[in-house]
Amino acid sequence: MIKLAQIIIDGGLVGLVYGLVAISFVVIYRAAKIVNIAQGEVLVIGALLFWTFTLGAAKAGWHVPFVAGVALTLLGCVVFGLILERFVFRPLIGQSSFAIFMASIALLVMLRGIAQLIWTAETRPFPQVLPSGALDIGPFLVSTRLLIGGIFTVALAIALHFFFTRSRRGLRLAAVAEDHNTALSLGVSVRSAIAVAWILGTVVATCGAVVLLSGRVVSLDVAGIGLKALPVALLGGLESVRGAPLAGVLVGIGEALAMAYLDPFTNGVASNVLPFAVMIGVLLIRPQGLFGWKRIERL
Amino acid sequence: MLPTGIYFQTYASEARVLKTARSRVAVALLVTGLVAAPLLSGAYVLGVAAQGFITLIAVLGLHVTVGMAGQINIAQSAFVGVGAFAAAKLAGYGLPFWVVIPLAALITGSVSVLFALPAARVKGFYLALTTLAAQVLFPIVILGLPTEWLGGIVGMPVEPLVIAGLPIASPRAFYYFTLVLVVIMTCAAFNLHRSGFGRALKAVRDNDVAAQVMGIDVLRTKIAAFFVGSLFAGVAGACTAWFLQFVTIESFTLFASIWYLGMLIVGGAQSPIGAILGVLFITVFQEGLHEIGTEILRNSHEAGGMIFAATNVALGASILLVLIFEPRGLAHRWAVLTETIQLWPFPHR
Repeated sequence: MIKLAQIIIDGGLVGLVYGLVAISFVVIYRAAKIVNIAQGEVLVIGALLFWTFTLGAAKAGWHVPFVAGVALTLLGCVVFGLILERFVFRPLIGQSSFAIFMASIALLVMLRGIAQLIWTAETRPFPQVLPSGALDIGPFLVSTRLLIGGIFTVALAIALHFFFTRSRRGLRLAAVAEDHNTALSLGVSVRSAIAVAWILGTVVATCGAVVLLSGRVVSLDVAGIGLKALPVALLGGLESVRGAPLAGVLVGIGEALAMAYLDPFTNGVASNVLPFAVMIGVLLIRPQGLFGWKRIERL
Repeated sequence: MLPTGIYFQTYASEARVLKTARSRVAVALLVTGLVAAPLLSGAYVLGVAAQGFITLIAVLGLHVTVGMAGQINIAQSAFVGVGAFAAAKLAGYGLPFWVVIPLAALITGSVSVLFALPAARVKGFYLALTTLAAQVLFPIVILGLPTEWLGGIVGMPVEPLVIAGLPIASPRAFYYFTLVLVVIMTCAAFNLHRSGFGRALKAVRDNDVAAQVMGIDVLRTKIAAFFVGSLFAGVAGACTAWFLQFVTIESFTLFASIWYLGMLIVGGAQSPIGAILGVLFITVFQEGLHEIGTEILRNSHEAGGMIFAATNVALGASILLVLIFEPRGLAHRWAVLTETIQLWPFPHR
């Protein structure tokens, strides 16, 4: 029984990390109506920027204080978001969703290539930001890193939810997520919405990288987390920031249970297949996810 | 637009793919050239050409699913993989090639239908996500299956192709084998545009709600679009199996799928000419980049990875440039060029 509870706790905390990455999907969709397949690559670029301004700078002989390193990383994220807006997505405003989706697929190969050209494919240590080790809570062992990350995820989801539903700027972004042309005709700037979306998306993805990688290693393969978080974002509902952590917990627990009880019989397949089985199930049963918007179409 | 003086008296001649005598001569010259090419080129070029033909078959399939029906498919490489593994397994039982290729195509088509089923509930990029699931699940499933079935992580060796007692192992023989297949598949793709099914696909692409109102079974058409597109992938997969003489999951990655899509987008998704031009352009481009890269990075031990990264950046950039500046792709430029030549010296615009 204690083993089961421990599995559920671990799975839930890992799931919250998926939730955090899923939030970075959701903010981009919720603010600009772009499903960014390349989110995993964005996360890797955020992580590598953070490495550059902390350990990388120290290695090159520059001693950047930690706070300045964080500030520089944030600045890097903002510049990255603005570049994507100006050169990729601004020219595509008003194009079909097909073109915008294709652009994000093109970004996937391009960002992977750029990351490899700048930082090479080598594996590097990631700075220890969150404390390592584990807390003893009753009979259970809880990873401190994931616990802090989980609390941060929930707090961030609530804050972003209020931003998107209560603030004037957030509501403008909702109009853009509804339809680019309608938003333009109502005087809402789609350009600034896309810029905000990418800056938010990059910053949240970098936070996800910090929680996921703190004290571990970063390499280009980390981008795989993006494909794992996509089913989570879909289950929570692509328009719902609050849905992402909940869906993350559900998928994380399901994955942990599958790993513990099904994998021994299925050669390790069950836990890997589960997120995508959930994704296809969601699309078949409830395409808008748990809390997404239901779209109604007319001729 | 056709030059002055060319007109049609029957619908059949109007509906032809090659409308004028001049275009028929041009295609005849092209085919003759392709048949004669091995006399002039070496083994390396023939190998690249055969691989280009195989890629073209896969991209023509993608053209049906993505270009004609408007359903994004980012798992074409996984479907090619399904075809390759199916063909390897079937050929292992000693079946002749004319049984293996159609069966591999049918198996691939059936697998794709599984992932097209959510079309009943969702559309647009949501459907693309199920194909993404197909692409991600493909290696997981192959690795999870018992090693005796599909080779698992090691892969499966494939016996060289033998047709009527003749081994098809030399680059030249394989070039002719793929050339015949690519001609058949290209004719199929061009003719699909003139069929009722092809028109149904385009109606679904342009507006699926309106298509339904006009009496088209949208769900069936979408699923059929995936099925037909994957038939092409299955044929390409069977060829890949015999070409590499070894199948592993390493050859069928998400990146390969994106390359296929990139070729289609750069060429122009809406006509088979786009698929041909896209494959030609990207293959030549990639080979060129590879040559230059090897020349520059000769002394670096990381050269391979760096060239791969650079080609990825170039591919991503060309997709973005085409999306932004010429969404109709190279096919549109080609149409403008041929029209100019046809109307010369009296352009009436």
